[in-house]
Amino acid sequence: MEIGGVNRNDRFTRGSRLVDVLSKAGLAFAIVAVMLYGSLVSPAFFTSGNLLNVLTSMSIVGIVVVGMTFVLVVGGLADLSVPATIACGAILSLGLQPMIGPLPAFLLAVGLAGLIGLLNGGLVGYVGINPIIATLGVGTIGLGIVQAAVGGVIVYGSNPASAEFAKGRLFGIPVVVLIFLVIALVGHFVLSRSFWGRWTLATGGNYSAAEASAVPVRAVKAGAFVITALASGISGGLLGLTLQSARPLIGGGYEFSAITAVVVGGVSIVGGFGSVPRAIAGLIFVQLLTNVMVLDGVRTPIQGFLLGILIVGAVGMDAALRKRGVA
Amino acid sequence: MRFLSLVSQHRVVIILGLTLVISALLVPGYLSASTLGLGLDRAATIGLIAVGLTVLLISGQIDLSGGAVFALAGIVSVILQREIGILPAAIVGILVGTLAGAINGMLVVGLKVNSLVLTLATMLIFRSLAHWITNSQPVTGTDIMLSLALAKIYLDVFTLRSVLFIALIVLLHFWLTRTIPGRNVFAVGSNPAAAKESGIASDRIVFLGFVFAGTLAGLAGVLQSLVTNTGSPVFGSELTVAVIAAVVVGGTRLEGGKGSALGTLGGVLTIGSLTIAMEFQSVPAYVQQVVSGLILILLVVLDRAVTTKGRASGTRPALVRDNPITQGGTT
Repeated sequence: MEIGGVNRNDRFTRGSRLVDVLSKAGLAFAIVAVMLYGSLVSPAFFTSGNLLNVLTSMSIVGIVVVGMTFVLVVGGLADLSVPATIACGAILSLGLQPMIGPLPAFLLAVGLAGLIGLLNGGLVGYVGINPIIATLGVGTIGLGIVQAAVGGVIVYGSNPASAEFAKGRLFGIPVVVLIFLVIALVGHFVLSRSFWGRWTLATGGNYSAAEASAVPVRAVKAGAFVITALASGISGGLLGLTLQSARPLIGGGYEFSAITAVVVGGVSIVGGFGSVPRAIAGLIFVQLLTNVMVLDGVRTPIQGFLLGILIVGAVGMDAALRKRGVA
Repeated sequence: MRFLSLVSQHRVVIILGLTLVISALLVPGYLSASTLGLGLDRAATIGLIAVGLTVLLISGQIDLSGGAVFALAGIVSVILQREIGILPAAIVGILVGTLAGAINGMLVVGLKVNSLVLTLATMLIFRSLAHWITNSQPVTGTDIMLSLALAKIYLDVFTLRSVLFIALIVLLHFWLTRTIPGRNVFAVGSNPAAAKESGIASDRIVFLGFVFAGTLAGLAGVLQSLVTNTGSPVFGSELTVAVIAAVVVGGTRLEGGKGSALGTLGGVLTIGSLTIAMEFQSVPAYVQQVVSGLILILLVVLDRAVTTKGRASGTRPALVRDNPITQGGTT
């Protein structure tokens, strides 16, 4: 603090710009490197079929990633109830089809997932409970209730038309991918251009200052969890419709995939910094890496192992950069 | 508020009493020695992990990787049986837990990151390792008779596991209340900055806390694998919520600086007797999950409601201070 204000500021901005360039270019470089490696080790990598597969599975996770970005930016650490909200979306949107038709079933499923998010948000934003504990508990409860509702069994789809729609293409692009792009665009504009996004960044950056500036910090914090739950509900619904079956544990692992993508994309784990495109760049990197590993014959556990190490590395780097005051 | 804080203070006794009374009314033969012994044995698995977590939570940290360490240690102790014999294999299994805890501790202290996020990542790593070594298949041990010997019931109530758990609780109680290192743990948890100024090696205490928690999760996993003669990569995945719920029921605060061994004993017994009661009534596993999730959420909310407000900023325990959510949360 004793260092002259100008001097310190100068260093601050220079460091910040350097890190900015590095983190953006670094990720782009990593993506290109993975693609090069992939095309070298496997002839199947650069086929349109494979890339389309990657794109489709990326879209399902990607919808969750958009929501999770809000949670991390607002300083909400992580939402661990994602498996529950995805299961809620998938199971209900299939299970309710015979009773109320495919579209109302889908909407109701997403709405109920949003309700789980509202509970998360209330506990975190208004009661002030640690988000990881709150979402862990609420997720356990939610998943249990969803399982109890269908008797703990696998639910199958009964409406071929809706399955055709979810698996179909529009202008040659899979519908799921289009939905993801729309959600990502909306998420990006909300976070970077709207008042809600500014509030989210302010709340994550400095809670007390944001509160003093009349930002409705509690609602903003709660909102991030509602957004994530709605996104996971949509993601789960689409997953259920494409697979035409939903088991209660369908969403397991998606929370980690989403968190990994967001953290690898350089969104700070303590909040106040980040954007949707960054998170999606992280997502592309992680998904391509996973795909190359699959093509290379690397077994699933090893992939999980590497994802874990990626999270530790990204979080550690974030902490190190923060300590030096440059990120 | 006063009523709430009174309830909060004596909640272990209230909740445990209520659980026992309701279970006794609903489940015929619940209060027999053999049923309670079964409950105690079941509780001991949660309990061993909970003992480690109690120390960590008091020091202001948390470990979410306990369930994964539990599985990994069990698998190692079973796989190595053929190579080096049962007892050495068991010891190596426990050491795996110690090592896992040391890794957690080193990363949290070294990188200065929030332990919630970090142990979430290491949980994924340890769980993947467990799947990796076993090819996602359960593995079986060499000696079936050993599991029978370990599951033997003494005096109608006690098993090896439950005796070990109770002994550890008693030791922990004396360590936390009667010794200087024990008191230092509370100091670090309630105000790390002040603890450091007073010459307490906060980092070392946090590191050792993780090592302790990892070792106990390993011990619990090894015992479970020996008793069932099986090591499985999916063991312990549902333990995380149950263990945290047990410790929180016992009055240990997630914010650090507060907690007791006897409280954890009560919490573990509550969760254990609940589990047994629900299993006797063949309540499906997912409903049991809902119950333990509800208990956890309700008690954390209760804690929050009676929490003393207006601590000066910067003096908060690590889990709260490093956590932007709780910064200025209640004021």
